[in-house]
Amino acid sequence: MMRDTWQRLRSDPYGMGGLIVVTIFAVVAVCVWTGLLGQGWSEVSGNRYEGVSATHLFGTNLLGQDILNRTLFGTATAFEVGLMVTVCSTLLGTLLGGLAGWYSHGWLDEIILWAKGVLDSIPFYLFAAAVAFALQGNPWAMHLAMIITFWTTTARIIRGEVIRIKEREFIEAARAIGLPGLKTVFRHVLPNTVHILLVQGTIVFVAAINTEVILSFLGLGIQDGVSWGLMLAESSQEVLAGHFGNFIAAGASLFLLLMGFNLLADALQDALDMRRLPG
Amino acid sequence: MNTPALSVKNLSVWFETESGRIPVVDRVGFSINAGDATGLVGESGCGKTMTAMAILGLLPSTGVSVRADAIEINGRDIYNLNARQRRAVLGRDIAMIFQQPATALDPVFTMGQQIGAVYKRHFGGSQQHVRQTMLDALRSVGFNHAEDIAAAYPHQLSGGMRQLAMIAMATVCKPAVIIADEPTTALDSSSRALILQKLQHLQTRHQTAILYISHDLAVVRQSCHDVMVMYCGRIMETTDCQSLFSHARHPYSAGLLSCIPRISATRPPPISSIPGQVPAPTDLPAGCHFAPRCTRAETRCRQAVPELDDQNGRGAACFRPL
Amino acid sequence: MNTPTHAATPPLLELKDLSLSFQQHERVAVDRVSLKIVAGSTLGLVGASGAGKSSIARAILGLIRPDSGDILFKGEHIDRMNPRQLKSTRQRIQLVFQDPSVSLSPRRTVGQTLLEPLQHFGIGDANYQREKTAQILHTVGLDPSALKRYPHQFSSGQQQRIAIARALVTDPELLIADEAVSSLDVSIQAQILQLIQVLQRDFGITFLFISHDLAVIRQIADDVAVMYRGQLLEQSPADRFFSQPAHPYGRTLLSFARGQTPAGWTEEKWYLERSSNTAGKATACVFAGFCPEKMPVCETTEPAWRYIQNENQPTLGPHCVKCHLYNEANTNDY
Repeated sequence: MMRDTWQRLRSDPYGMGGLIVVTIFAVVAVCVWTGLLGQGWSEVSGNRYEGVSATHLFGTNLLGQDILNRTLFGTATAFEVGLMVTVCSTLLGTLLGGLAGWYSHGWLDEIILWAKGVLDSIPFYLFAAAVAFALQGNPWAMHLAMIITFWTTTARIIRGEVIRIKEREFIEAARAIGLPGLKTVFRHVLPNTVHILLVQGTIVFVAAINTEVILSFLGLGIQDGVSWGLMLAESSQEVLAGHFGNFIAAGASLFLLLMGFNLLADALQDALDMRRLPG
Repeated sequence: MNTPALSVKNLSVWFETESGRIPVVDRVGFSINAGDATGLVGESGCGKTMTAMAILGLLPSTGVSVRADAIEINGRDIYNLNARQRRAVLGRDIAMIFQQPATALDPVFTMGQQIGAVYKRHFGGSQQHVRQTMLDALRSVGFNHAEDIAAAYPHQLSGGMRQLAMIAMATVCKPAVIIADEPTTALDSSSRALILQKLQHLQTRHQTAILYISHDLAVVRQSCHDVMVMYCGRIMETTDCQSLFSHARHPYSAGLLSCIPRISATRPPPISSIPGQVPAPTDLPAGCHFAPRCTRAETRCRQAVPELDDQNGRGAACFRPL
Repeated sequence: MNTPTHAATPPLLELKDLSLSFQQHERVAVDRVSLKIVAGSTLGLVGASGAGKSSIARAILGLIRPDSGDILFKGEHIDRMNPRQLKSTRQRIQLVFQDPSVSLSPRRTVGQTLLEPLQHFGIGDANYQREKTAQILHTVGLDPSALKRYPHQFSSGQQQRIAIARALVTDPELLIADEAVSSLDVSIQAQILQLIQVLQRDFGITFLFISHDLAVIRQIADDVAVMYRGQLLEQSPADRFFSQPAHPYGRTLLSFARGQTPAGWTEEKWYLERSSNTAGKATACVFAGFCPEKMPVCETTEPAWRYIQNENQPTLGPHCVKCHLYNEANTNDY
């Protein structure tokens, strides 16, 4: 199955373009984590608002810090937030959505739906602010706020999908030999949601990076380190004064990465469709 | 001789893929006179539905190519039409009845609205007139309480009733040609009998030409005078129904006939079948496509393509007909 | 209520007054159905869609709990079994569904699909299981290379062979086939019917074969049971049913299947049947509204089961029918 998917993905130029862009950013993030790139992000290495030069490819900021280094480090931040939020919220969403769907219209479903309803009805940024306030400067407050709110969409999709799948005859076939419920869910139901999870995962990833930028911009985001959001927040003053370094570097990176992810998500959706197989 | 209601000459359809052209319909030609019914029979994937879609011009413009010398309704060409001209023809001169009326009907409109809309699009007229025509169409398929059916949504009708309503919709403009694609496959035996009866009435009353597409020879036997047997996109045999059932000339037709389970008072002998399976369109054997499954095949069958012969209007594409 | 009995052999499966209500899983209701299937024979259960045929299959497999009545497998009550007995019974009863494109798990290979029942029931070691799956594939006429492929890579006929292989892999004694050939083309249907005939002849498997198609039933059934709106109306040896159907509904079905319009059937009845409520009145005959031979008593009293004697065909099993035409006064004809 994976091989077929890969073959179909490879024949899609937009999807491959997206994959290449995402891979380049991911390599940068790994290099930052391993200490190969972006380490001088906090050093003051030049004068304030230096232009583009050989030493400072993207120029410097207000404090004289190298914008290229800060952009590279911001890539790592984006991936860290994206990965963590995606993995955690997808796991949580799949688990709760799967349970709610399998036991649909039972008490467990009711509770999960109620929790989802409550979380969905709170304005997100208010909620993020509340979590940040409650955790008093904890660096994971933003991540937590996103995980708590993002799982609901995944859960809703998975619940619907599980309800649809469990009415299918191959589930009845599994029940007919007396296969226990949990085994059935893990063997026959959830594998049929993988394509949705992968696509939903890329969507959550994009949303997490986006949200990080906005939260950081509002001062509710990254506490320690630098991110594209913080750079954009800085740039909001500078753009009026005619200094575009931060704005262009962070904005372009954000645009490129999100674009790449969206192209990849679209291509994945097509490539994972089993029914499109030839023969 | 008068012009046939539907005439198709040399129709071919290919799928265009990266690995080349895949033929799905191969030089199909036939004609149906007004008031006649012809059956197009074959297993799923043999190109029956593709033939119908190509005649209607409903195939997508990318990935598929269609070639024909001519497709004519009452002598008027419908092959070389632009999209706007084609829309004017579909539903008015030629209409289609689908296998699954549940999915072919729009669930948010009542039957009356849907049938009326078809008529109004082609002929216009006052609201009163459209409604009257719509109710007449429903009555003509046997609905005595046409008003109730007109007010019903598709899901409120049973499968058989929906198919009847679908027939009313296809005939509201009194088209010259109707293509019925597996019209009774999804229905129980009493609905099936009634639907076929109704279609026969319409055929004689309005002098409609009907092309039945089915995998079920029993349906074709009940409704059609002539029959074409299709295999892997090619017409294997074309004849009248009676001759086919009494003396099929193509080994494939004979094989299909032997697959039909029969009801007899004494227990029938074990059923026979055609060995092997239909090849994929990407993997068609050379020569006669049926040769690998044919018990009568010889060397030339695997090398050359047999063309339809002509024996008093009956044709078989076979080097060694029965 | 009295039930038809075959004299000597104990039945492999017996249903006694089985009733299922409407609400459960949106399945069709079933009203006091009693049936017996003798080991090694095939019972054809016929009736229009919505007659409750599939509900009975689901109940036998334990997927729906009956409201009342008993299901006995080899004389044992299925609903009174302990979990261990139930598991071993489930191994002996398997189901083949109508549409293989939705009854096979799409993201599991054929090998995984065939191994699952063996692993679940703990049959044999890994070696045995490997041999068994290969052997079963051979039995249903597929190549061993199929094991590594996914269901969508097969044609519908091959998919149904895989579904049958999955049902056979545990060496069941009873196979329930729920419209197992109805979605297939005639040529593939013939191939699958041939396979079923091999299973009947060479493996001695007992079948409960559910179908709306009498021609298919005629090919493979030893006995026929006719259902209408949740009730059993006629049960008979197949040879008897196809020569002398007794119940007016059985006759109607047979006429339609032969491509004839049955005597007394009118278009009005067809419309009426499709627009009236499916819930039958408990006090009267369920077929009374559409019966060409309706008598006044049919609308007031529910008919009882009657045996029709088979004097001149002593080898056949009993023929019984639930119809007022066959009360004592009228049975003299037979």
